[in-house]
Amino acid sequence: MSSNHKRLSMGGRIDREQPVEFTFDGRSLIGYRGDTLASALLANGVTLVGRSFKYHRPRGIFSAGPEEPNALVTLATAGKREPNLPATTLELADGIVAESQNRWPSLAFDVQSVSGLFAPFLSAGFYYKTFMGPTRRAWMFYEHFIRKAAGLGRAGSDPDPDRYDISQAFADVAIVGGGPAGLSAARAAAAAGARVALIEQDFLLGGQLLAEPSDSAAAAWLRQAEAELESSETVTLMKRTTAFGIYDGNVIGLVEQRDPTNPQLAGEARQTFTMLRARSIVFATGAIERPMVFSNNDRPGVMLASAARTYLNRFAVLPGKKIIVATTNDSAWRAVFDLADAGADVTVADLRAAPPAALAAEAARLGVVVRAGTHIVDLRGGHAVRRATLNGPDGQSEASCDLVCVSGGWSPTVHLTSHLGVKPQYHDDIGGFVPGAFPADRFGAGSMMGNYSTAGAIEDGHRAGTEAASFCGKSAPAPTPSKLDLGETATALLFEIPSVGRGKAFVDFQMDVTTGDVELAHREGYESVEHLKRYTTLGMGTDQGKTSNFAALASMATLRNATIPETGATTFRPPYTAVALGALAGRAIGHHFKPIRRTPMDGWHMANGAEMLEVGLWMRPYFYRQSGLDVNEAYVAEMRSVRQAAGLMDISTLGKIDVQGPDAAIFLDRIYANGFAKLPVGRARYGVMLRDDGIVFDDGTTTRLAENRFFMTTSTAKAADVLSRLEFLLDTAWPDLRVAVTSVSDEWAAMSVAGPKSRAILSAAFPALDVSDAALAHMGLLESEWQGRALRILRLSYSGERAYEIYVGATAGEQLWTHLLEAGRPFDLKPYGVEALGALRVEKGHVAGPEIDGRTTLDDLGLGRMAGKRTGFVGDVLRRRPAFQAPDRQRLVGLECIEEGKRLRGGAILFLPDEKPYGHGHGRVTSVTFSPERGHYVGLALLAGDVASEGSEVVAVYPMKAETVRARIVSPVFLDSQGERLHG
Amino acid sequence: MLRIECPCCGLRDHDEFRYGGDASVMRPAHDDPDPQAWYRYVYIRANPAGLHREFWQHVIGCRQWLVVERDTRNHAIASVELARQLSARKSPARKPPA
Amino acid sequence: MASPDFSLSVADCPLIQVDGWDGALGQFESSLSASLGTKLPASVGETVRQKGLLVIRVAPRRLWLALDDGIEAPSLAVDPDLGCSVSLDEGRVRFRMAGADVAWVVSKCITVDWRAPAAAPGRAVLTSLHHVPVLFLRTGDTACELIVPRSFSQSLSDWISGLDC
Repeated sequence: MSSNHKRLSMGGRIDREQPVEFTFDGRSLIGYRGDTLASALLANGVTLVGRSFKYHRPRGIFSAGPEEPNALVTLATAGKREPNLPATTLELADGIVAESQNRWPSLAFDVQSVSGLFAPFLSAGFYYKTFMGPTRRAWMFYEHFIRKAAGLGRAGSDPDPDRYDISQAFADVAIVGGGPAGLSAARAAAAAGARVALIEQDFLLGGQLLAEPSDSAAAAWLRQAEAELESSETVTLMKRTTAFGIYDGNVIGLVEQRDPTNPQLAGEARQTFTMLRARSIVFATGAIERPMVFSNNDRPGVMLASAARTYLNRFAVLPGKKIIVATTNDSAWRAVFDLADAGADVTVADLRAAPPAALAAEAARLGVVVRAGTHIVDLRGGHAVRRATLNGPDGQSEASCDLVCVSGGWSPTVHLTSHLGVKPQYHDDIGGFVPGAFPADRFGAGSMMGNYSTAGAIEDGHRAGTEAASFCGKSAPAPTPSKLDLGETATALLFEIPSVGRGKAFVDFQMDVTTGDVELAHREGYESVEHLKRYTTLGMGTDQGKTSNFAALASMATLRNATIPETGATTFRPPYTAVALGALAGRAIGHHFKPIRRTPMDGWHMANGAEMLEVGLWMRPYFYRQSGLDVNEAYVAEMRSVRQAAGLMDISTLGKIDVQGPDAAIFLDRIYANGFAKLPVGRARYGVMLRDDGIVFDDGTTTRLAENRFFMTTSTAKAADVLSRLEFLLDTAWPDLRVAVTSVSDEWAAMSVAGPKSRAILSAAFPALDVSDAALAHMGLLESEWQGRALRILRLSYSGERAYEIYVGATAGEQLWTHLLEAGRPFDLKPYGVEALGALRVEKGHVAGPEIDGRTTLDDLGLGRMAGKRTGFVGDVLRRRPAFQAPDRQRLVGLECIEEGKRLRGGAILFLPDEKPYGHGHGRVTSVTFSPERGHYVGLALLAGDVASEGSEVVAVYPMKAETVRARIVSPVFLDSQGERLHG
Repeated sequence: MLRIECPCCGLRDHDEFRYGGDASVMRPAHDDPDPQAWYRYVYIRANPAGLHREFWQHVIGCRQWLVVERDTRNHAIASVELARQLSARKSPARKPPA
Repeated sequence: MASPDFSLSVADCPLIQVDGWDGALGQFESSLSASLGTKLPASVGETVRQKGLLVIRVAPRRLWLALDDGIEAPSLAVDPDLGCSVSLDEGRVRFRMAGADVAWVVSKCITVDWRAPAAAPGRAVLTSLHHVPVLFLRTGDTACELIVPRSFSQSLSDWISGLDC
């Protein structure tokens, strides 16, 4: 067979000067620029393109659009597999390598097609009924094989090599659909002065106009409309773009494909996900033709009548020479005439007893055989249709054919309109579902609203575009639209399932659902359309039932003796067609998944041996490689270094809030459990904030800088929450307090020098400052300058050692850090990371995040004395509730590991020694560390107050590693209980 | 994507805001000792199917706390006001000095 | 990074923030206006240019004074009964972006309508860049600035630069 033997030598919208090479199932073929993969396959006489989902029946190309149920291929180009792509929307480009799906060893000879013999066992709901024995576990055994047998494409498992992008867009009027209605709406809205976005999923504008001959009046109208819109400054044309979902606020989810035929774009994002925010939306999404239901209606060589016409007029492909067109309405006759005109031998089987005389007359002129009151009952032909059995007024007859075109009417494409709850309504006079009442900012036009004629669509689009622009306040008068009348006759869309033969009559091609399955569902009581869908799986494939929903609904309505509205319809949800997950992620993948936050000393850490750790969005030094071979060795060495000499820690990530105003002191008194109003200027205090329900919210240190000014620190994790909370109270609860709160987290680089040598180091680093204990007492503040930037030194300790927190302007952070290390060299000052930081505070018995976990109160944490006799602060009243005083409430204790060579783990559950370790236990371990001071593991835990006291033994159980460790309850302060080191 | 009209910043995506819960509940005075009043404020909610008054903070923008009336059935937003201005209307004694 | 169609440069961005108390706003603003020698932007998103600095209203009672390169901070004495101030010298950087492609780059980064009046030259828009709060300043037909928290500076300039390759 020669290449493109079904291609006509003239006509169509393909560029015969630009041939395109591609491969299908290993065969090298030629198509042309402007082809889809489907049109190129048809041109080359390929009729078999896949095997069906369940029964592995041979299938061919059914449609010319995204509603395609059968012709799903896998693209295996450039080291990437992408399955389940409809060949009918795949723009043909050089080098495409496509494979058919769901067949082995080959499309022509598929071993699993024998599953057709098992069909009776595989009917609807089979997995609830068959394969259920002999044992209860038997299903799991069968399921393994059944799952392998069913399915369509196979996904790849390599990382996606393509780039994707996300974009934000805005418009006054968004128009979905670039057919006659949409184009007309765009012209009207633009003329009225609105900013317009026209969205079209195809790579050409025109919609149904592309099914008209390329030298027709329709084509001229299209050219003119396109030229006008392209030259407008306020119109954005988005081709190759699918609107996949409509969201609240008239936000439209779009996916735009990169033009695959333009090699200059090869490095750009393959798909871009755009959120288009529109003030008003016009839906001009058209309608999808319905199949006819008869036995073996799924054979390769059966296609929608409008698809055949599109392949003929748009792609210059004559898919058959001996064609039967089976229809219930006038629209298919346009295909009849065009196919006959192109030289095919055409027979029309019109279900209606008396089709319009004008059509019959034209048919006679063209030599078309008209069989009125006739329908197809059955088809024969395995890999390609060859014979039809017809039923008419004169009884049954046979006719040979190589192409069968079907048209059971049209279903308006209402999916997007119903994403936000506008329920489709069935209209008898239209014979289909159209949207119910739109809200004020949404409009519909064209065949989506049941206006099936081109002239009607253009007028309707003009109206909708004008109204949509007017909604946005744009009402410059639009010129009347240029007319285009294609002479379509109004057609009542009749849908019936007349008699079928003995073979399977398919209702949903993709999911292999037959009329028999619908009947079975009905017999078994699954009558509601929601049950029908889920029991039979109809409409659940990648095509989401675009060509099957109506037939199934009509079928069930007939069985129930109900009307279509009584039978109902299922809900449409986004996405309209499949969206690659990569597109939704855009560039936020890998290390760009979330933004990275770095401290002013980050460069130094990276260059000086720090192993970095993600702590929320921040990068922090975990440990320094010079301290040890791995984290466990390193943190112990760093702890020792701090306790014996001194350590330097980057604490820039702490939340820092500037609190100012005449009422600042009153404000702090209300939000902290302990008092702050009387804190002297130049002093700092550790504070704890509660939530309104009495649970501890966060802790930090707040310093009084002046009468009306405080410097608050919070934990790193809660910084944003605390700021919002303060603003909430000021805006909604206490608006008369004159207080301003501002985040200054990034203003300051912060570092802590901790250890017995810390004062000496500070002295060496700041020779001009008096850092003696007399000048800088514990919890005191010293303010000064360094290198022209503000400097603050706070004497406070997290580790239990003498320590100082040093704050300097962020741009001087790294400089000060290296200066301190230099000054500290004679004293053995070493940097330490967050693992050691955490370990030191555990050894000292300080609570932190693992204890302040949103479930604990001040009393639970042993901090009840902080509140003393105070009242009137946030959380005070509810923290006193009886449940929080119960004797079995879990309270903070210390644990030391008493088994040689074993360790404690955070999260371990605590039991008594003689108990069986099942259930919730009596508490949990919250933080642990190896203690160099004690020589064994220690930890903080929350343990029920009435179960054991200091000195007793408990057992810490960690089921994830099957560990059981004995521990003794001790005071949580594991060293220096008198706090002498702070002053040492 | 809800679009919320911030009185200061204009129409914005909902992910610019932080949700703050029910705004129709009465917060007791900071020194109100009544546990029942606090219990009601913290825990008791009407949960209407219909208009719901709720707090949102425009954290990506002006950082103001807002009171939004949103229909919980379809997300339609009936009104947006600055929380502060609502408090001002509630306690006229607080009018600013001349 | 720079190409004829898009350039991005990073610079320091010292700011002074001033807040007026609710209830004393009128007095606070007259006093501030007198100190600075200029009228103040009336609503959030508006800016007023003064010698050496740009006054930006970022909230109903909060203004930022963005200092031009090399300008010394003006000394501002704010009456504590009317309001307060805090210097934000170190915590932010400016991304200066310009070129024919700048609107396209911006559409991939922030949710700001380049063609809307709210984003016209001289306007400021508080928005987010990759989940981080930033201030967008439209400085020209094909130029704008983003004021970005310093700790996110490298991550976000990588994010923007990643677009142009």
